[in-house]
Amino acid sequence: MELEDEIFNDGLPKAYYKHDDNGQYVLETDAPWAEKVSCALIISGNRANLEEIRKAVLAGQKSPIYYYMEMRQLTSGMLAKAAGIAVFRVKRHFRPEIFAKLKPSVLNRYTNALRVTLEELKTVPNI
Amino acid sequence: MNIEITASGKPFVHNHSAHCESGVTSALFRDQGLDISEALVFGIGSGIFFGHLFFVKMVGLPITTFRSQPGAVFRKAGKRLGVKFVTKRFRNPQKGMAELRQLLKQGQIVGLTTNIYWLSYFPNRFRFQFNGHNLIALREIEGGFRVSDPVLEHPVDCLAEDLERARFSHGPLEPHGLMYYPSFVPQNPDIKKACIKGMKDTCNMMLRTHIPIFGVRGIRFLAKRIKNSPQKLGFHEACRHLGNIVRMQEEIGTGGAGFRFMYAAFLQEAGELFQSDELKQLSQEMTAIGDIWREFAVVSARIIKQRGKTEDTFDKVYDILMECAAREEALFRKLNEVVRKLKV
Repeated sequence: MELEDEIFNDGLPKAYYKHDDNGQYVLETDAPWAEKVSCALIISGNRANLEEIRKAVLAGQKSPIYYYMEMRQLTSGMLAKAAGIAVFRVKRHFRPEIFAKLKPSVLNRYTNALRVTLEELKTVPNI
Repeated sequence: MNIEITASGKPFVHNHSAHCESGVTSALFRDQGLDISEALVFGIGSGIFFGHLFFVKMVGLPITTFRSQPGAVFRKAGKRLGVKFVTKRFRNPQKGMAELRQLLKQGQIVGLTTNIYWLSYFPNRFRFQFNGHNLIALREIEGGFRVSDPVLEHPVDCLAEDLERARFSHGPLEPHGLMYYPSFVPQNPDIKKACIKGMKDTCNMMLRTHIPIFGVRGIRFLAKRIKNSPQKLGFHEACRHLGNIVRMQEEIGTGGAGFRFMYAAFLQEAGELFQSDELKQLSQEMTAIGDIWREFAVVSARIIKQRGKTEDTFDKVYDILMECAAREEALFRKLNEVVRKLKV
């Protein structure tokens, strides 16, 4: 099955205004084709991006925080605000050697902001 | 029919609607005894708009908006219909949640502005960091809330933790736990007068903005940017940008062609209200414009899907958008004339 059918086949349709036969507007629930394609493009793009970052983390180029930030579709600015840590520090924590030395109190802030557990935050899923 | 019982024992009818904010507004008014359709609320609140905010990025892609800023529809529609309403923001999440629980206990249903990413009852395709999604909290249940999300067909359960996160999320346009509910709704408001106000405001916003990224000028601005994007960004990146525009056009929050159809539905209803054939004609014209927007979406999707193998090019997208701009300009100029002749 193609991605666009997969992601739109979840039984939660949106409503769209459409003309019926009498020229009156009614609500229908079939998603337009263009919407499916563009939505699938964005989602597949995000997934590919995430996969690349996962590999980078496993290769030791980035810290897992970067992966989880990307998973939650956040930017470093948004993450910094949510965690209450300055942006330059957040960016510094993307480096694995600095991430390894972080205190639990700092890690806890990230777990709250990213909604992951402490164990999850230390690694990325290894498929 | 989807009937839910609120904490006060009053029945609440959940209606599926095309847009979150107008759906929430019309449901809140209906709950207080003013029966008004989603399309009418959308028109009275001047929901239709256009803007290409190239400097605001979401997931690294610029925002294109096809509607007015979040919160405006409720505020404007409320004002024009003479509704008195309460809006509240909070600094402290605990206080915000406590206040919500208190109101729900009293039997008041409350509109909330949330971040759509953290609402886990949505499937993945809806979920991106966007701080302008509206829903109604109906009552408290064990471990969460019963919410009526107008974008979905049925009311759903939402975890308390999800809702707290969604209401107090960070990023552009932070909601700060914004909640709103009408405290007084007139039973027989002057809908005609409100419609005229709404239409005039819409014409002003679309035609007379001085900033070139908004209104009809904004559409032309976007057209030019799309035309130049393959040279500037490379083909793949240009496709991603185009895909984002189409997704914004159709998807949740900002949705272009859908909004054009909704506005056409409003013009149709207004035409019946005023017994005006001119408005009905404009409704037909708006539908035609909506169809062009849809064609824009289809052509763009084809470019993305087939990677430039067909005759669909970025130049063609440019032409379609320019036609959209020209026809919308003509339509709003006509509407501007028609609305001045309408009698209350």
